[in-house]
Amino acid sequence: MEPVIEVTDVGIRFKRNRQSRRNFKDLFAGKNRRTLSGEFWALRNVSFSVMPGEAIGVVGRNGQGKSTLLKLVAEVMLPDEGSVGVHQGVAPLIEITGGFVPELTVRDNVYLTAGLHGMKRKEVDARFDEIVGFAEIDKFLDTPYKHLSSGMKVRIAFSVVTQLEEPIILVDEVLAVGDKGFREKCYARIEELLAGGRTLFFVSHNEKDLQRFCTRGLYLDKGELKLDAGITEVLARYNADYAPKV
Amino acid sequence: MSPFAQYRHALWLLASRDLKKRYSTSALGYVWSILDPLLMAGIYFFVFSVIFGRGNIGETPYIVFLLTALLPWTWFNGAISDATRAFEFEAKLIRSTKIPRTIWVSSLVLSKGVEFLASIPVLIVFAIFTGATVNWHVVFWIPAILLQALLTFALGLIVAPLVVFLRDLHRAVKLILRVLFYASPIVYGVTDMPAGLHFWAAFNPLNGIFSLYRAAFFPQQLEWFSVLMAVVMSVAFLGIGLLVFKRAEAAVLKEI
Repeated sequence: MEPVIEVTDVGIRFKRNRQSRRNFKDLFAGKNRRTLSGEFWALRNVSFSVMPGEAIGVVGRNGQGKSTLLKLVAEVMLPDEGSVGVHQGVAPLIEITGGFVPELTVRDNVYLTAGLHGMKRKEVDARFDEIVGFAEIDKFLDTPYKHLSSGMKVRIAFSVVTQLEEPIILVDEVLAVGDKGFREKCYARIEELLAGGRTLFFVSHNEKDLQRFCTRGLYLDKGELKLDAGITEVLARYNADYAPKV
Repeated sequence: MSPFAQYRHALWLLASRDLKKRYSTSALGYVWSILDPLLMAGIYFFVFSVIFGRGNIGETPYIVFLLTALLPWTWFNGAISDATRAFEFEAKLIRSTKIPRTIWVSSLVLSKGVEFLASIPVLIVFAIFTGATVNWHVVFWIPAILLQALLTFALGLIVAPLVVFLRDLHRAVKLILRVLFYASPIVYGVTDMPAGLHFWAAFNPLNGIFSLYRAAFFPQQLEWFSVLMAVVMSVAFLGIGLLVFKRAEAAVLKEI
């Protein structure tokens, strides 16, 4: 079998002070001002590959590059070094409500978001009932999206993205939202997708979730891939490194 | 779907999203999109024709002459202005979908282009009332539209990523657009440029493009040298645009 995700010697750097965007006049302000303060590597020399059907959990403290890695795999960010190869379609559960337009109806939004993620109109037609059924908002189809409650907004967005027929699923802590009942439904949906042979790439702080879905773990620390092993081993190592001090 | 089909599909989705968004939130929808060029045409007509008495500048009927360039200008102006905000407004979508990023420019060109096409009936109405006659040069509208779409896309590719790093650029673009309005043959014709400036004016690709549009009513406005230069300049801008966009892309994605 061929790997579905191949990450080779990947590095990406950011400006330390991300707010300091340059102004037009800075271009003419002489050389010294043009070299802005230090940059840092959010990730460096990271390599791994993922086989189809694997369920991978990314572990690490805040700011150690977890979400950046996920964005690189989703190809919504490009590495400064190395290469990221993703050989199959991706259903990214990242900023899932981002593409929704407040002024348009739920129906329009479903077609728009599903379409932008690569679904044809006919495919959306065929799945439409299932999508709105899962989100439990069949009564609000012609309501402008902005009038939905925040829970409903997330529900319909989750429902659309998980209906994509893509073999790779990326999840970035979105499951922390919604009420308990719906969260359980989301978990069940992800398990169902996993059972169907999808590949999962999962970023979370929640140990229980990681244990539940993932078989393999990637432990990121200070921009490096410290450990690539079974999820239990990875979590044990992470806990040993950052044990809560009593 | 092949990548090309996927791009085309997303292009239509985004353009129709923009149009739906505009028309779902305003009662006068269509009227607004033609009101701007119409009002401007009225003002220029009054100032240049009634007050200044334009002499032999431009062509008669002057209102038709104005609209043949003002309507395409509204498309160009709208798309470039919006391109300065494209990455800012679409940031959330860009962070969650991996459609080729040029789509944030091309969908603007398309949605503004559709509005332009929808405004053509206004020109027809004025042409009928003033008795302007159309000639066979009207077929040049097709290459004119294609060429303008190409040029607008190319300039959008340059402007959109640069604004992310240079906040002030969107103000500069506003100023440049205002200058460009008067530097392009809109209130006057291609042939009205003084002889000394004539050659240099052709480097502005809008010269050739507007000359093509106008030929439909005023064949003497067709100037092949300007048209040729417009093609050359547009293709050159496309090359620069693709290069700038490609080089800035990774940094833009980090910044938004």
